[in-house]
Amino acid sequence: MSATPAPRSAAARQVSLLAAGLGALALCAALSLVLGSRSIPLATVVDALSGTAHGADADVVVGLRVPRTVIGIAVGAALGAAGAVAQGVTRNPLASPTTLGINAGAGFAVVTAIFALGLSHPLQYVWFAVAGATGAALLVYGMARRSGDLDPVRLALGGTVLSAVLASWTSALMLASRRTLDEARFWLAGSVGGRSLDGLYQVLPLLAVGVLLALLVAPALNALALGDETAQALGVPVARIRVLGGLAVVLLAAGSVAVAGPVAFIGLAAPHLVRPLLGNDHRVLVPGCLIAGPVLLLLADVLGRLVARPSEIEVGIVTAFLGAPLLAVLTRKAAAR
Amino acid sequence: MSPDTLTPARTAPDAAAAKPGALARARRRTLLLIAAAAVLLVLMAGVALSTGQVSIALPDALRALFGFGSASDVLVVREFRAPRVLSAVVAGAGLAVAGSLLQRLFRNPLASPDVIGVTGGASFGAVLLLATGASQALTPLAALGGGLLAAALLGAFAWRSRMAVTRLVLVGLAVQAGLAAAVNLMIVRFPAELAGQALQWTTGSLYGRTWPELWGAGGAIAAVTAAVFLADRRVAVLDLGDDSAGGLGVDPHRTRLGLLLLAVVLASLAAALAGPVGFVALAVPHLVRLLAGPPTPLALALTALTGALLLTGADHLVLHVLPVHGLPVGAVTATLGAPWLLALMIRQGRPPQRSSR
Repeated sequence: MSATPAPRSAAARQVSLLAAGLGALALCAALSLVLGSRSIPLATVVDALSGTAHGADADVVVGLRVPRTVIGIAVGAALGAAGAVAQGVTRNPLASPTTLGINAGAGFAVVTAIFALGLSHPLQYVWFAVAGATGAALLVYGMARRSGDLDPVRLALGGTVLSAVLASWTSALMLASRRTLDEARFWLAGSVGGRSLDGLYQVLPLLAVGVLLALLVAPALNALALGDETAQALGVPVARIRVLGGLAVVLLAAGSVAVAGPVAFIGLAAPHLVRPLLGNDHRVLVPGCLIAGPVLLLLADVLGRLVARPSEIEVGIVTAFLGAPLLAVLTRKAAAR
Repeated sequence: MSPDTLTPARTAPDAAAAKPGALARARRRTLLLIAAAAVLLVLMAGVALSTGQVSIALPDALRALFGFGSASDVLVVREFRAPRVLSAVVAGAGLAVAGSLLQRLFRNPLASPDVIGVTGGASFGAVLLLATGASQALTPLAALGGGLLAAALLGAFAWRSRMAVTRLVLVGLAVQAGLAAAVNLMIVRFPAELAGQALQWTTGSLYGRTWPELWGAGGAIAAVTAAVFLADRRVAVLDLGDDSAGGLGVDPHRTRLGLLLLAVVLASLAAALAGPVGFVALAVPHLVRLLAGPPTPLALALTALTGALLLTGADHLVLHVLPVHGLPVGAVTATLGAPWLLALMIRQGRPPQRSSR
C-alpha cells in the first residue's frame, strides 16, 4: 500500500475508493440490464426504465432484468457483509456463510418442505429457507460454544461437517421423490433469474436489520482482531459482540439464501477483494463489502448469461466455479504467512 | 533393508510397546480382532444374501450362491444380491485401506479421500460418463480418471507446501467445491431421469450393481490393495521421518508420491463401485488405531475387514432396517460418521492457547 502521510488523506483515499466502488456497481448494474441471451441497446433500456419505450425489449428489461438486477444487488450486498462479519467474528479469513453450514441448512429445509408439503413455487420457500438457515446456524453455534464464548476453530469445523451431513440428507430426499428432485434441483443451484421481487420484499426486514447490526458491530470487530484478551482489556464485551455478529451473519445469509437459493463464495471473496484496497478496518471493510458483494454477484450472473447463450448458467454454479480456485489461492496465501 | 530391524523402531515412540511382551500381546489382540471381524463379515454377508423381498433361508442362500438349489433362488442370490454385497465388501475395504494409507502418509487422521476431493473427483468422472451416454462398463475408468484429475489439481495447488496437511485439506475442499459445481451443472441440465442417477452417484449408493462392474472395479481394487500391503514396509520407513528414510536408501519424496498415487487410485476405484460413500475412509482407520494400536500389516488387514463390514452393514441398514426406501448408503455413513469426525476434529483442532475462558 502507498505511503499515507496523514490519517486525513487515508480517509480521503478510502472515501474515493468507496465512491469508485459505487461507480463500478452502477456499471455492473447497467451491464446486467443490457446483456443477456439477447443484448438490448442502452438507449432502449433507458427508455424502458423511464416508461417511454414499449414492446418486447422493454418488457424484458422491466419484467425480467430489473427484478433480477435488484435481487442481485440485495443478495450480493447481504452476502458480502455477512462474509466480512463472519471473518471478523471468527477471526478466520476462510469463514463465510457457506462454511458455517447456513446454505446447507436452508437447502435441507427447503427440500424437506418440497418433499413433505408439496410446495412448488420459490415464493413459498422463503420462510423455510430462513428457518433452515437459522436452525443450522444455531446448531453450529451450540457446537462451537465453550464457556460462554465462541471457539472460531470449532465454528468452522462444525459448519463443514454439518454441511456434509445435511447435503447427504438433502440428496436422499431428492432421490426419494422424483417431484422433489425436479422442483429442488433448480432452486439448489442458486440463481437470481426468474425470482420475483415479492420474495425479496418478504425478507427485506431481515436484511435491513442484518446490515444495521453488521455496521454496529464493525468497530468492535477491530478490537476483536487483536485477540480476545486485548479486546476485553479495551472494554469490548467480546462474547456479546460475537453473538450480535453471529446474529447479523445469520440474518443476512438466511435472507439472501431465501431469495436466491444457495450462492457460494461471494461472502468469502468480497472481504478478500476489499481488504487489499481499503485495509483491515472493519468500519470501512463492512461498507466496502456491501458494494463489492453485488459487484461480484452481478458480474458472475452476467457471465453466466453470456457463456451459454441462448441458455444461461445459474449464478450459484458460476460463483462455485470461480470461487474454487480462489479458495485454493487464498489457502496458499494463508499458509505462506 | 531387513524388515526385522524396522519393527522395534517403528513402535519405539509407543512406550508400552517397547516391552517385548506388550508387542506380542498387541499382535495377539489384533489377530483376535481380525478373526472376529472376518466371522462377522461372513455372517453379515450371509444375512444380506438371504434377506430381501424374497426371504431365503441362510443355508439355501449360501447353496444358491454356488449355483445349487432352486432356480429362482439362484437367480435372486447370484444376479441381484451377490453383486451388491460383494461390491459393498470390496468398496468398503478399498476405501478404508486408502484412508489408512493417506492418514499414515500425512501423519494426520483428517487426511482422507473424501476430504482431499479424490472421491468427489471420481463421482465427477462417473457423472460425466453418464452425461455422454457411454457404456456403464466404462464407469470404473471414468471414476479413476476423475479421481486422478482431482489429485492432479490438488498437487498443482498444494505441491510447493510439501503437502502440509491443513493446506491440503483446504485445497481439497476447494477442488471438491469446483467439481461439485460441475456435477451440479450437469444435474440441473440433465433430464430428470439422468439427474436422479447422477445424484445417486454423488451421494454414494450400491443400488443396481452388476457383475461386469464388480469384475472390473473389484478386481482392480483387489490388485491395488495387494500392492498397498506389499508397500507396507516402505510406508514404515517413511514413518521414521524423511531423514532416516533417506539414510535407509529410500527417496522419501518419490516414495511418498508413489504411495499417494496408490491411495488415490484405490479410493477412485472404490468410488467407481459405490460412489463417494462418506466418512468410511476417515473413520475406519481411526477406529482400528484405537483398537489395535500402531499400524502394522495385521492392523491394515483389520482395517480392510472393518471397512468392508461397515459398508455392508450400512447397506443392510439402508435396504432392510430403515423405514424409508431407496436411501443412498452415503446418507447413512455420513450420519454415523459426522459426530465421530466432529469429535476427532475438535480434539485435534483445539488451538494451543485460547484465552478468555
